[in-house]
Amino acid sequence: MNEPIPMVFVVDDDDRVRRALTRLINSAGYRVEGLASASEFLALRPFADCPACLILDVALPDLNGLDLQRELNAMGASLPIVFITGHGDIAMTVRAMKEGATDFLTKPVEEADLLRAIETALLKSSQALASRIEIGSIQRRLARLTPREREVLTLILEGRLNKQVASELGIAEKTIKVHRARVMEKMETHSLVDLARLTDRAGSPLSPGKPAVR
Amino acid sequence: MTIMYAVIVLGILFVLLMTWCFQRTRSHHAPEVGDTKTDIAFELPQLSHLNFSFLTRIGASIKTRTLGETPADQIRSGEAPRSIEPLSQRQRSIHARLAMFSPGIIRRTTARRDCDKAPVGMPDGSESTARQLQRDEHFRRALELLPFAVLTTNRHGQIVLANAATSKLFGYAQRELIGNRADVFVPVLQTHFDAALPAGIAAARPVQTAGSARDVFARRKDGTEFPAEITANPLSSEADSDTLMVIVDRTDQYELLRNRQELTHLTRVSTLGELAGSLAHELNQPLTAILSNAQAAQRFLAAQPVNLAEVREILHDLVEDNRRASEVLRKIRALVKKGELEAAALSLASVVRDVALLVHSDAIVRGIRMYLKIAPELPFVYGDRVQLEQVILNLLLNAFEAMESRTAPDRAVTIEATLAGAGMIRVAVRDRGLGLAPDKLDRVFKPFVTSKREGLGLGLSITRSIVERHGGRIWAENNEDQGAVFYFTLPTGAAAERTRSRQQA
Repeated sequence: MNEPIPMVFVVDDDDRVRRALTRLINSAGYRVEGLASASEFLALRPFADCPACLILDVALPDLNGLDLQRELNAMGASLPIVFITGHGDIAMTVRAMKEGATDFLTKPVEEADLLRAIETALLKSSQALASRIEIGSIQRRLARLTPREREVLTLILEGRLNKQVASELGIAEKTIKVHRARVMEKMETHSLVDLARLTDRAGSPLSPGKPAVR
Repeated sequence: MTIMYAVIVLGILFVLLMTWCFQRTRSHHAPEVGDTKTDIAFELPQLSHLNFSFLTRIGASIKTRTLGETPADQIRSGEAPRSIEPLSQRQRSIHARLAMFSPGIIRRTTARRDCDKAPVGMPDGSESTARQLQRDEHFRRALELLPFAVLTTNRHGQIVLANAATSKLFGYAQRELIGNRADVFVPVLQTHFDAALPAGIAAARPVQTAGSARDVFARRKDGTEFPAEITANPLSSEADSDTLMVIVDRTDQYELLRNRQELTHLTRVSTLGELAGSLAHELNQPLTAILSNAQAAQRFLAAQPVNLAEVREILHDLVEDNRRASEVLRKIRALVKKGELEAAALSLASVVRDVALLVHSDAIVRGIRMYLKIAPELPFVYGDRVQLEQVILNLLLNAFEAMESRTAPDRAVTIEATLAGAGMIRVAVRDRGLGLAPDKLDRVFKPFVTSKREGLGLGLSITRSIVERHGGRIWAENNEDQGAVFYFTLPTGAAAERTRSRQQA
């Protein structure tokens, strides 16, 4: 899988500042796209499958930068945000960081600070991207399981023996063994430990199936 | 107002005096006077409109003497003393011959009395001259009694008559004043005389004083100067006629004006103080662009091959951003500047745009959308740019504050500038705040009326006084649906000129 060139978005309503920032970021070798407002950015829906980050001015004419951040979070977009502001106060900074901003810089922005912040944000983004890809793949695997196999998986992960699972589900132990082999096959794994890790990575993957009966 | 009263009192006194003298003249000497006009009509406040003429003549030319020289010095130097004695000595010396009434008729007389001497030069047995003298005496006496400084000058600008109030105002004895050029005491008169004399035209145009009254200073004997308002008018339509001058001490008004300017400046500065954060932001933006551009240029130059096109563009932007920063500074400096009022023709649209730029980031921080609706090709208005900026700034910031309790979608301010009828531009600042209680609509313009926790309540009252000084009007209304709108009007071009000249009259 060849590494896609990271993408940096700059949202600032001041044309000249935006131009200067995009120029600087471009000179550092990133792909960069400048946008004048939050709505322009949202209209772009820039959630491509490549590492990306957002350089966001707090004071925007339509939607305040902090509100845009909240909206992006609500949409589940895992786009690391570096805030830049002319007059940031502590409350603003705290709120932004709590909502997951990677950095909060004041204008005029020093090149070194900006590029470091971008690097951090992109690293975070590529990690998030990798994990998103991994989780996606696990979820795809989980989706292949039949409801019965999910039940078996749940009980196995609780540490039950085949015999216990069989009695719990009221089916033959031999059948459980078949199910179990299927699960391992479909989840593309060979060890119980790895199976536990995969399902853990995927969050709570078993909800679509019947609730496990005790 | 003081001037008006002064002129009215002066006018009435003249009328009374004249009527009285006229009746006497008529009863005793009707044939000589001829068909004297009896209807004495005049318009205030201009003295020159008085529909009568009286003329001051002196027997011989008065030699200019230097200030401080007394009549005694002149006697020693062989000249005849020419001073007019104060009222108490009025029987002894009369130099000025004042002939009154009879439009078109100029009385000339050579009669003269000298101090402590019997009348000389008076034609024997001339009863009419005696009466003439008596009338002159009445005139002089009337002048003496006036509670403000009145003096007459001849066509050389030399003082012929000066009343007691003049002497008191300037700190000179009356005898010291007589014979000196009036511009010694009121320097601005020099150009007045100099301009009038060579052409030989009517020596006394009214001196331009009002409107720019504070620029006219008079000098007391002790060297101190005070602001004065001077009305100078010819005593007749004759080219070489004498000039009657009324000098009013404007110190109080001047102080008042100063205080008002000071207050206006203070509120302007405090308004700017409120804006400090946002002004810093306005400066910060170009600085941000400059720094990033410069650093980008360094990177482009370090790369191989050098992208010269890009670097060239960056340099262009650097210059532009630098200009932009200077422009912000210039605007701030202009508003902080403490200066005299400067009336000039200016575009109200550009005033509105400048202010909108200053509050631009303040609006963004407050989440307010700002709309400018300026009619194209509005005529010029006459006014002081800084003060008009202050008016718009005040109204805008008030509108911003009025919307603090509103949710974001409602926060919008509209500034409209339109032509409103003949010769008027109307500016409206419309907010979508809570509006004003009906009883507040007028009261908000009164001093110390405020709805703000930290407000002094001076902003709108000063705003109003600025608008009114520019010949406009300001008022507030509630919008039909939501919020309030503040209107003000300003006269345009020709209309503004009329207002100005009216104010100067």
